[in-house]
Amino acid sequence: MRTPSGVALSLAVLLSVHEGWANPPASAPPPDPLPPGVSAVLWKVSVPASAAPTPEKVALGEKLFNDKRLSLDDSVSCATCHDPNKGFTDGKTVSEGVKGLKGMRNSPTVLNALFNGSQFWDGRAATLEDQAKLPILNPVEMAMPTPEAVVVKVRAIPEYATTFQQVFKRDVTYDDLAAAIAAFERTQFSGSARFDRFIFGESKALTDTERRGWALFNGKARCNACHAGNAVNPLFSDQKFHNIGVAAHKQDFPQLAREGLKVVRLGDEKQIDELALQTRFSELGRFLVTKQENDVGAFKTPTLRNIGITGPYMHDGSLVTLWDVIDHYNKGGVANPFLDGGMQRLGLTEAEIDDLVSFLFTLTDERFAKFNTQELARQRARKGQRPERDTAVAMGKKGNLGDLAPNPDLAVKNPADIGVYGTETLAKPASTKQP
Amino acid sequence: MTFRMKLLAGMCALLSFVGGVALATSPAPTQATTELPRHQVPASKDGNLVVGMCDGETSLEVKGVKEGQKLTREQAMRVSGDLMDAWRKKNPDANWDPTPPPVLAQAPKQPTQGTPNPPAGVQKPAVGSSVREGGITADSGGKQVRKEAGVNIQDGQTYGAFTSRDEAIWAASTEQFVKEGHRVFHDAEALGGTVAISCDMCHPDAANTHPETYPKYQVQLGRVALLRDMINWCIENPVRGIPLADGDPRLRAMEAYIYAQRKGTKLDYGKK
Repeated sequence: MRTPSGVALSLAVLLSVHEGWANPPASAPPPDPLPPGVSAVLWKVSVPASAAPTPEKVALGEKLFNDKRLSLDDSVSCATCHDPNKGFTDGKTVSEGVKGLKGMRNSPTVLNALFNGSQFWDGRAATLEDQAKLPILNPVEMAMPTPEAVVVKVRAIPEYATTFQQVFKRDVTYDDLAAAIAAFERTQFSGSARFDRFIFGESKALTDTERRGWALFNGKARCNACHAGNAVNPLFSDQKFHNIGVAAHKQDFPQLAREGLKVVRLGDEKQIDELALQTRFSELGRFLVTKQENDVGAFKTPTLRNIGITGPYMHDGSLVTLWDVIDHYNKGGVANPFLDGGMQRLGLTEAEIDDLVSFLFTLTDERFAKFNTQELARQRARKGQRPERDTAVAMGKKGNLGDLAPNPDLAVKNPADIGVYGTETLAKPASTKQP
Repeated sequence: MTFRMKLLAGMCALLSFVGGVALATSPAPTQATTELPRHQVPASKDGNLVVGMCDGETSLEVKGVKEGQKLTREQAMRVSGDLMDAWRKKNPDANWDPTPPPVLAQAPKQPTQGTPNPPAGVQKPAVGSSVREGGITADSGGKQVRKEAGVNIQDGQTYGAFTSRDEAIWAASTEQFVKEGHRVFHDAEALGGTVAISCDMCHPDAANTHPETYPKYQVQLGRVALLRDMINWCIENPVRGIPLADGDPRLRAMEAYIYAQRKGTKLDYGKK
């Protein structure tokens, strides 16, 4: 994608406006060329020059990412839960660490994680570097006792001792180890989905079903309220934290929050990490990080890129298929005192749910096309089991969960045609012709 | 109901209202309304190309070019220049800002694929007003939260707590939208024009488009027009293309570009 120089300029002007950015940190130059669904602007916002992924750092980081020796008993690597062949997730409900110990959270994908505003489901780490340090030390993940123990272990491996010297010009440190892993992760951008071909003008790249799904996405289903995307920000995520009521029926949130207030030590990332993965406080979500009432049960809006292959879904992996996910939203989530105000019933019909799910599967990078097809078939085979479905509530026959957005009149105006994503911002606008 | 919930409910109501209006006012293309004026250019005796001017009256026969043939960008610029001269003669007292000669302001050649358009104007979108300084934001990791915990500002708004990352994305998105408008404005092909005339030939850098004067009664259109109506009028003549639908991304982008070029100009609707 071409980077208009004007954009870079305006960005520089913009960043200089804020006191905190009085001297805007220089950005690393984005790789060239970038896939169509990856934004050079977002790259510059996300990658400071000091964190530029040099080839040497990336190579070292990739080796570390796949090395089980970073764990206590040499059984778990980063790739165990972020398997490159599975879209950098593990396909499990919650991740399993050493000795098969289970955490409380579902493994999010590394793909495009470099563009996240913060890391982890609750944003407890601001950067990829901060993120990389925590799983290695978590007792139910890689279970190393201390950063010092990791450094001692890695220094004793001759190949690392020399490589770290070559790359960082000094002995192994925990910071450098995290920096190398982060450098590798900054090469894991993904933006060559069938959807991108469609938005770049190939109107036949999506089927009628998928186009209807895209219209629903921006219309009646209101997905774009939090999962908006455009050419500058193609993640389909607002990177904010919302309580959508996942697993709300399992706890008394106010009580849990009261207890949490006493327990959580603000800013202690290590403690938050352990509370998040090993205790029932996990469900407090962003509250663990901020101790703010409105963050109770709130989790970060994940990217929808590659969503078809990164199930099961939600922070606890409790929803098995995208049909379950849409069922959850269709009934307005699960009521609780901290439910996000945007959560209302959607009134989607079965056919509309099918359209929407079909569309979501077009956001998968084409390098995973085969896997994506398999996953779609697997999820579709489970359509008989729909634990989250509550048609009566979704359709307003029961409960009182608000008004519906109007049905999109596809014959008159298809939201897909007015370019909510980016026809208005792309060098080459998406075709407005019917396929 | 907490204040926050009320605020959210209010915002949602507003949003759904806006959405409803947007859908309710969607054009129904099949519905025929009263006949609006059109500028029918006279046919040439020799079958030459005839280009109409935006006043809805004047037209110009292009010698040596048959109807249906394409002009080069140079030819198109000569034609639009002659039309402009004719208009200036007819309207000596018109409120017409002096502009640099189009030939100097614009690229000499018709842009082919891959060659960039002339650089966009210097106007930049307003940014930065909604980011508060300090405090906990969605981008704050655990360490920053501890640092910012004592900051004396109201935290805790899911939808209002914007970060400089958000602002950067919005500014760049707006900028790209305007840039796309700049591209279409300078590209006869993108406009759907058939004779190689593009908007910039009469309106270099969007000069004399006066977007701040709309809505206003536009005599040649025979009705109160919005900026987009006038753009579409020009797309028929002199561009010789088909008017764009109200929701067409190209039309939206051009509107964005034209307004962006008049940043800082006082709104003065109805002005002639």
